[in-house]
Amino acid sequence: MASAIDIRQLTKVYDGKVNALNGVDLTVKAASIFALLGPNGSGKTTLMRILTTQIHPTMGLARAFHYDVVKDDDQVRKIIGYVPQEMSVWTDITGFENLLIYAKIYGVSSVQRKKVIWDALQNMGLEDVANGPVKKYSGGMIRRLEIACALLIKPKILFLDEPTLGLDPSARKAVWENLRSFKKEFGTTVFFNTHYMDEADLYSDEVAIINQGKIVKTGTASELKRSLHGEIISFCLANNRINSMHSSATPLRLEYEILTKIRALNFVDDVTIHDCVMDVTVENGEFAMPLIIDVLRSEGISLEWIRSTRPTLDDVFLKYAGMRHMQDQSGYHYGI
Amino acid sequence: MAFNDSLREMFAMIELEMRRLRHDRTEIYTRAVQPILWLAVYGTVMSHVRDIPTNGIPYIDYITPGVLLQSTIFVSVFYGLTIVWERETGILKRLLVAPASRYATVIGRAIASGVRAVVQALIIFPVAILLGVKFIANPIYILAAFLMLFMVSGGFAALSIFVASLMKTRERFMGIGQAMIMPLFFASNALYPITLMPPFLQSIAVLNPLTYAVDAVRGLMISGDVANVPVDFMAVIAFDGVIFIVASISFRKIIE
Repeated sequence: MASAIDIRQLTKVYDGKVNALNGVDLTVKAASIFALLGPNGSGKTTLMRILTTQIHPTMGLARAFHYDVVKDDDQVRKIIGYVPQEMSVWTDITGFENLLIYAKIYGVSSVQRKKVIWDALQNMGLEDVANGPVKKYSGGMIRRLEIACALLIKPKILFLDEPTLGLDPSARKAVWENLRSFKKEFGTTVFFNTHYMDEADLYSDEVAIINQGKIVKTGTASELKRSLHGEIISFCLANNRINSMHSSATPLRLEYEILTKIRALNFVDDVTIHDCVMDVTVENGEFAMPLIIDVLRSEGISLEWIRSTRPTLDDVFLKYAGMRHMQDQSGYHYGI
Repeated sequence: MAFNDSLREMFAMIELEMRRLRHDRTEIYTRAVQPILWLAVYGTVMSHVRDIPTNGIPYIDYITPGVLLQSTIFVSVFYGLTIVWERETGILKRLLVAPASRYATVIGRAIASGVRAVVQALIIFPVAILLGVKFIANPIYILAAFLMLFMVSGGFAALSIFVASLMKTRERFMGIGQAMIMPLFFASNALYPITLMPPFLQSIAVLNPLTYAVDAVRGLMISGDVANVPVDFMAVIAFDGVIFIVASISFRKIIE
C-alpha cells in the first residue's frame, strides 16, 4: 500500500540545545488512521508541527504524499487539514461563517461553496446549530466545527493534535464516529496525537509510541499488546484446603510445590502466588486454563474463582514510554 | 498561483473583520464616545484659549481631523491584541497551515483594521457635523481624506502586529501599546501646530506618520489647503510599505 507520510531521521533541536526530536523514522499508510502516543514533552506536537509545515526540522526528511514538507510546503498545505490542540475557531461569528471564511481562504469556488460547507456541517452533525454564534457552542460542538473546517477541502491527510482533549465521553464518541464515516467516504489518512489509550485502541489502524524524541514502538494496537506479554490468569486457591490438606506440611511448603509443578508446564512463562492468588502468565489462556486446573485438582486444591487479564494499551504505553517518576515532578499526569 | 492564494486570504480577512463587526456593534459605538468628548468638551473649552494659532479656523474644527484619526488609530494600535489572542488559541497556527503566504495574513489583517477604522470614522463624522464643525463639501476631498484615514490606520495595525509578534503576551503587549499611544498623539499636529512644540518634540513629530495623516485630512476636510497633500500621502505610503514588510518578516516569530 502507498504511504501517506514518510519520515526519515527527522531531528529538531530548539535553541541549539533541546532535542525535541531525535532521529524519527516513521511511515504512515495511505487511507489509514494513525495514532501517535507519547508522554508530554516527548515530541508529539513538534512532529506534527513539522509535518504541517509550521516549523522546519533541523535535520532529516519528511514527506506527505511525495511532497517534501520543507521544499514543497505550498503543495503540502493544499492537501492537508489540521486541527491544533487549542481552540481554533472565531467565537464571535457563527459556525457557518467560520466555514465560509475558511472556504474563501482555501479558494473553494463560489458555485461550490455552499454545498461544500453544508456537506462539512453534515459530516460533523452540526446542521442545526450552523447559524448560531460559536460562543454558545459546547466544547464538543466547537471541536466538531474545527474538524469541519479542516474537512472543507477534503484533505488527503488530516492532522489532529489531541482531538478529544477535555471532551466528555459522549462528545468523544460523536467526534470519532463522524471522523470515521468521513474517512470511509473519502479515503482520508488521519494522523492524530493522543493521551487517550482507549481511543488509539478503538479507532486507530496503527499506533506509534514516541518517547524522548524517538519512536520506540510501532504496530497495530493488538500487535503492541501481544508484544508485551501474553495473558495473565489468576486463580484464587481455596484457603481452607491449603491449610488443612497436608497437615504435616506448612502452607509455605505447599505453595512451593504447586509453583514448581505449574512452572514445569512448558506453556507457562511465569507464575507467582500472593495471598492465595496464583498469577500464571501464558501465551494463550484458553488453551492453558484447563491444563492448569487439572494440575491443581490432582493436588486436591479447589478454586474460589478464576480471572483472566489481557494487557491493555496502557500497559504498553507504560512499558515503552514509562519514566513516570521523572515526569510527575513537573505536575505531569497521564490522561488516561 | 501563490499570489492568488494570498489575495484570497486578504479578502477573507477583511470579510472576517466585517462579519465580526456586524455581530457586535457595541464596540464601535462605545469607542465613539471618547472622541466625541474630545470635541465637545476639550474642543469647546480650548476654543476660548485664543493663543493656539489655527489660521482663523475655529478650534473644534481644527482638532476634528486629529480626533478622528486618533480614535481610529488607537483601535489599530491595539489591533495586535487580536493577534495575541489568536496566538494563544490555535487560530494562528491554523491560518499558517492554510495555502497562503504568511505575508497575506499580516497585510490582510492590517487592511481589515483599516476598513474597521473607516467604519469607526463614519460614526464620528456626523456627530462632528452636529457639533457645528464645517467640512469642505467636496466629495473627492472627503473620499481622499477617508483614504488617508484607511491607509494610516492599516499602517498602525501592521505596527501593532509587529509589536505583537515580539511581545507575544497580552500583558507585555498592553504595556507597549499604552506607552506608544500618548507620544503618538501629543507629538503630532493633532491638537496644535508643530511650530508650538520645543525643537526636540518637533523632530519626533516630523517622523510621526500621524502628523502627515492629520495634515492631509485637515487640508482636505477643513482648511482646503491641499498643497501638502501629495507629500503627506507619499509619507504615509512609505510608512505603510516599510511597516508591512517589517511586520511580515517578524510575523514568523509569533508562532515559534
